[in-house]
Amino acid sequence: MKYLSVLFFEWKHFVRNPFKVIAWVLFVAAAIYGLHNGASLFNKQQKEIEAIYKKVKEQYEKNIDYYQKGIKSPPDRPWVDNTTPFWAIWNLPTYHIKQPETTMVYSIGQAEQFGFYKQISVWASPYDADMAEEIANPERLQVGTLDFSFVILYLTPILLLLFVYNIKSTESEQGFLHLVQVQWGANIQAWLIARIVFYLLILLLTLTLLIVYGATLTKAILFAPEKVFQTLLICFLYSTGWLILYTIIIRYGTTLVSNTLQMIGLWLLFAFIIPSIVLQNISINKPVNLMLTFIDAQRDGREKIFAQADSVIDKQLFTLYPQIENSPMAKDSISRILARNFSASALVNHQLKQIIEEINNENESKNSIISSTYWFNPVTFFQNTLNHVSGTHYANYQHYRHQIQQLIDVRVATLTNDIWFNATVDLKKYQQYTQQFQTLPN
Amino acid sequence: MWQIITNEWRYLSRTKSLLVISFSFIIILLAAAWLGYKQNKVHEKNYAEAKQYVRAEWESIKEMNPHGAAHYGTYVFKPTQVLSGLDDGVNAITGNVLRVEGHVQNEMVHSEASQMQSVSKFGKLKGALLLQYIVPLLLIFLSYHAINSEKQSGRLKMLIFQGSRLRTLVVGKTIAIWLYGFSLLLLTILVYLIFHAATMHTDVWLRTFLLLFSYSVYYFILCGLTLFLSLRIQQAAVALTCMLTLWVVWSIFMPNILQSAVSAWHPLPSRNVFKQAMKEDRSKGIDGHNPSEEREKEFRKEVLAKYGVDSVEKLPINIDGLLMQADEEYGNIVWDKHFGELRNTLAQQKQSYQLGGIINPFISLQNASMGFAGSDNYHHQHYLLQVETYRRMFIKMLNDKHAFGGSKSGDWDWKADNAFFKSVPDFEYQESPIQTSLTLYLTDIAWLLFWFTLVFILLLFGTHKLTVL
Repeated sequence: MKYLSVLFFEWKHFVRNPFKVIAWVLFVAAAIYGLHNGASLFNKQQKEIEAIYKKVKEQYEKNIDYYQKGIKSPPDRPWVDNTTPFWAIWNLPTYHIKQPETTMVYSIGQAEQFGFYKQISVWASPYDADMAEEIANPERLQVGTLDFSFVILYLTPILLLLFVYNIKSTESEQGFLHLVQVQWGANIQAWLIARIVFYLLILLLTLTLLIVYGATLTKAILFAPEKVFQTLLICFLYSTGWLILYTIIIRYGTTLVSNTLQMIGLWLLFAFIIPSIVLQNISINKPVNLMLTFIDAQRDGREKIFAQADSVIDKQLFTLYPQIENSPMAKDSISRILARNFSASALVNHQLKQIIEEINNENESKNSIISSTYWFNPVTFFQNTLNHVSGTHYANYQHYRHQIQQLIDVRVATLTNDIWFNATVDLKKYQQYTQQFQTLPN
Repeated sequence: MWQIITNEWRYLSRTKSLLVISFSFIIILLAAAWLGYKQNKVHEKNYAEAKQYVRAEWESIKEMNPHGAAHYGTYVFKPTQVLSGLDDGVNAITGNVLRVEGHVQNEMVHSEASQMQSVSKFGKLKGALLLQYIVPLLLIFLSYHAINSEKQSGRLKMLIFQGSRLRTLVVGKTIAIWLYGFSLLLLTILVYLIFHAATMHTDVWLRTFLLLFSYSVYYFILCGLTLFLSLRIQQAAVALTCMLTLWVVWSIFMPNILQSAVSAWHPLPSRNVFKQAMKEDRSKGIDGHNPSEEREKEFRKEVLAKYGVDSVEKLPINIDGLLMQADEEYGNIVWDKHFGELRNTLAQQKQSYQLGGIINPFISLQNASMGFAGSDNYHHQHYLLQVETYRRMFIKMLNDKHAFGGSKSGDWDWKADNAFFKSVPDFEYQESPIQTSLTLYLTDIAWLLFWFTLVFILLLFGTHKLTVL
């Protein structure tokens, strides 16, 4: 009963304090704005994906028409022969898309730093220039988008601060604390905690409603209810963590100004200082990769491969694809030249993959450093956890890159195999290619 | 007035907790200056090595067909600016590598932000982070305390009773606390400049002065406004809450919201639409009625007429080089149209954002800081334009060699020698002069001065009728 009356009086205090109410209203407004920003990016990406699918479909239907009519070459490109694997695969439009997750509504994360669609070809790589982010104002990206995760990570601590900064210190400064002590006796800490819990309940209720509202914007509640629940859990944990820290300050603090200063100091430390030091440290010790090895391989790879003796090229190809050693083209010295020339992409792809692995490892080493700071860098930890759940974390895009590489590998392997086995492409084979190049290997 | 300032400073220097905070701040600010300098050095080294490596590769071409060389191309890397160690601006976002090649104007790729998971929403520990976000908070607390302690102890009444004018008192205290903020600012910038002493020149000095000026004005605005509110609002806690809320709204909320709003007001095309539009303009002609085949036929006729021959075989030059150059020049018109529109939209976004300074001086400070440090989008676009100018010169040299180097039309096996490739100049970035930045950021300076005047008026005329007795 005693605790209920504390909650009741705290409610009265809250609704009669215009600053706390305004702070709460501003927080809710920012959160709703952030959710709509997330939903807007989700819808924008969906729209772009639809446009790409439409473009691919048009191209595909055009090619199908050639096969149905038995046309080998488009009228403006007579050198093309669509019945050969090389040209059939060359002209087959395949895009690999990173579908935005419905939980993107909660955290835009790194979604604006990476591309989400990529045309696959035998010469492609997951680090091509077309993997760059969408066109955006870099100053907007630098300031950052106000999404829901931003509100949670940076504004929740401020809201909680405004909610609880005057608890106990006001009573202490105005001389009421002794009266409270008389009423609560040794249990005064329970009084303090009951008051703080009230604000925790207000916040948790607010967050629950906001998260549910967000889930309706992109239908995440239908498509990914478990992720909505995870987001809720992360937000609860994060808010409770801050409130525990503030409770400690209030418990041992004496004056209102000193408590407020300490809370703000803590917020600055965790939200600004520590993450910025970690980033600066990485930037100095592991500077930005200017991709020289990748540039070399992509630009000079083909020339360097062709500069080798034919026997060396053949050996490399046979090592990669042992089955082609006994293919019809391999047995005929004239046909072999043509097959070798058309298979160059296989060797370039192999070379690029080795370099990409080095790049990925280097990036991963940066990620490991960041992860190792989580124990004293909680804001970054929660930020990346929210990004993970929203499918906008670096790892999600890395996975997408990995899938792109898999699709390139399938394409290259099929091309090499069919060239050396002198396959003829007809409508059925073309449809088979289309299916095969869109399916990720197990 | 002078006495009020010295008294305030004497009080500040005797407050142990403030001394501890100041000392900690100085350490962090110096660390930020040092780390900013160190990062600049690492980046400069990286940049120099990459530039040298790519150039060496270009110069090592023994012989190659000039058009093959145009496809081989070269790469340029974005150099660092002296003051970007203080304010990194958009550098971590914009990418660092740009391919220079024939037929296409590429975009910068491989940004630092895309090479790792998220760490800090507010960037690295640079001077700007501390000077824009953290020092202002300290100044708000000090300003609040300067009046509140006088009110609570009853000294304010006593001072007025002894004949001090409230207006003088408030202005004096504002200046005293502003001087404290200014000292932190000056110290950070001086230390940073000492580290960079070897690379300083007039332009950088002027930029530094403008940075110093912008931050100083902003600090005055914050100090004055906090003192004014602390005096006007009876409840101390409410005054402090007001200023803290204002700080959150100004520094965290509004820049985000306004940037999103201006992006919606002046939308940019998607990459897919942008590329498709350029592709169509190149193939069908900008007006849609001038396809590339027609343009080629027309150009061939013109060349034959110019040399007075009736077939390309009789030409003393290689027409392919001329054709490729003509195609490049047409492409350049297309790039100028589309990239120009993109730049215009970005400029419109920036101008709209700058208008936000009327309700939020922090926006003006942030703009001015990035702009004067040379790490804003204007400088980035300036860099991209220079690279594009270089690309056009680079490709023209190669096409001219193809046309006039001694080969015949249709001879794609002809190769230029190593001396020619060595004679192609390397890209050298010329930094944008401060005059340009100043013109671009006059709006922000104007808004800061507007706020400065407003606060000064509030301090002078908004306090003289206050009843404190």
